[in-house]
Amino acid sequence: MPKGWALPAETERGRAVLALVELWAENGYAGLSVTEIAARAGMSRERFEGLFDSVEAAAVTANEAPLAAVVEIVADLYSADRSEAESYAVAVVGILRLMTANPAYCYLTFIGGRQMAPSRVHEVFESGHQFLVAMLERLWAASPLSDQPARVGVAALGAAEAVVRREIVAGRYEALPALAPDLVYGSMVPFLGQAEAMRLAELSRRHLEEDLEA
Amino acid sequence: MDSQQRDRMLQAMMEELADRGYSEASVERARSVAGVSETDFAAEFADKDECLFAAYDQLTDQVVARASAECDRGEPWPERVRTGLESLLRGMAEQPGMAMALTRAFPGIRPSAYERYVELLSRFVPFMIEGREYSEVDEELPGEVELLAVGAAEAIIFGEVDAGRAERLPKMLPEILFSVLVPFMGPERAAEEMRTASMSI
Amino acid sequence: MLEGNGQGLLSERDRAVSAMARLCAERGYPETTIDDVLELARIDRDTFDRHFNSKEDCLLAAVNAIMTETVSVVGASYSGDRSEWDSGLIGIRAILQLMSANPSFAYVGYITSRQMAEAKVRDVRDSGVGLLCTMLDRLRSYSPDNRAPETAAAAAFGGAEALMRKEVAEGRTEQLERLLPDLIYGATVPFLGQEEALRLARRGRKLTEDPGEG
Repeated sequence: MPKGWALPAETERGRAVLALVELWAENGYAGLSVTEIAARAGMSRERFEGLFDSVEAAAVTANEAPLAAVVEIVADLYSADRSEAESYAVAVVGILRLMTANPAYCYLTFIGGRQMAPSRVHEVFESGHQFLVAMLERLWAASPLSDQPARVGVAALGAAEAVVRREIVAGRYEALPALAPDLVYGSMVPFLGQAEAMRLAELSRRHLEEDLEA
Repeated sequence: MDSQQRDRMLQAMMEELADRGYSEASVERARSVAGVSETDFAAEFADKDECLFAAYDQLTDQVVARASAECDRGEPWPERVRTGLESLLRGMAEQPGMAMALTRAFPGIRPSAYERYVELLSRFVPFMIEGREYSEVDEELPGEVELLAVGAAEAIIFGEVDAGRAERLPKMLPEILFSVLVPFMGPERAAEEMRTASMSI
Repeated sequence: MLEGNGQGLLSERDRAVSAMARLCAERGYPETTIDDVLELARIDRDTFDRHFNSKEDCLLAAVNAIMTETVSVVGASYSGDRSEWDSGLIGIRAILQLMSANPSFAYVGYITSRQMAEAKVRDVRDSGVGLLCTMLDRLRSYSPDNRAPETAAAAAFGGAEALMRKEVAEGRTEQLERLLPDLIYGATVPFLGQEEALRLARRGRKLTEDPGEG
């Protein structure tokens, strides 16, 4: 389990950010208040204000966590025995498991930071998202196409995200890992073609099953 | 309130949301623009939220209808996808404020509003099912392929609307088409369709 | 390889990104124009506009390119077959080799994005640096008594960066690998203490002299 996911809940900062993220997922961003967040985190208003300049500052911090977690999971899986694409395929299972275990942060990653946040917070989200798009677009190196259409990385990642959003909006966080093969296929087919994307989807499905048996 | 008045009320409320955001959106101003009295409004809607949600339903119905309207049943599926997409992109470019309301202002209100946005995307899924016939591999494609394709288009469209560049969307039809078709037919075939589409821009 | 170096053809988008990096290193970002990029990359304005929304967008692509490449080489240097520390050393060496092989991108990463562009670009870079610190920070769990403060990875990184920045700014990018022992010492001393850090630095020097190892 990577350490970088949420700020550790044992620290005060971690608890405060988690409280904010939970309330954001429950009621939306506009409803957030220092009073409510502090209460949820089990601390005084003053304590919260000592930790963060504003709700917005805490929201910016919250948006930094998921990117680190995703990258750590991916980087952890790089190995001499696997291509980068295979590492991604296996990483998807790990990422979805982490989402299931952290539903509030999951909501932030796919919905809150994207469409339910003020500009400054959204910018931080967007720049993390662009980084992930750039990681995915490394797969162009294996593409049969001689010239690359624009924004394929954005679309490929967006394809997977749309499926995840449907599940989390319905509260079906525990159903996420089983979607790994679909998400692997959708995010990789533009770069690697159908046959290879299907093979990688199957790889992720096997990894999902092996992990469950372990 | 007759149906024409209701439509005007919903339209005006959506414009209020688009122009001023949720907290500043005013029922009074929208009523005044639509020519609807306080009594008539109260008889039809419990509050601002109920009106806004109904307005969003009307807007999303229009978006889906527009995307499917010009599709000629006789044409091959990739052609129909192209026509539908073209129509959708033109609509967004022509009304960037509504596009913003559709993708940011309304969904951002709170989680229950966001659900409507997710439902909107699901409404495009049935249009994609026929794409499976174009697959170049024997094995059955993954179950979520239709929503993956819709999500691909949404990601690009959302990015441009969000950045205030909705007017560029029609020019981006070929690359959006590529990403929508690619899960069904692979990158080479999708690139061919993309090239055909760029020739007629 | 980011810079092409005549080895295989770069796509139009990658040519533009590579051209931007070169111009930043040679002329500086503020004085680089889109026309300069078009000329060096041998692409037309329509092509540029298809892939990038602005001059800054193209710079961001270059920053993301060097960041994602760095994450990838660091991730790939970890292997189950060797100790965690040896993997770390290989990782640091891999970063130096990457920078040496791509001096323009090194300039963009260390200098342009830090002090010669708008805040947004710096923020993107900082978030990439944050990711690398998170990856480096995992070494903390392997240090005795876990005594390094939370900021140790960031500080070690900052020290290493200052050293590298000087070399890159003074045009000695191709010889970055010479710095390996110093960098290893700086990166590990907060976690392992002086004696152990010196031992690893010596080991690192041996790695530099013996490129086959690892």
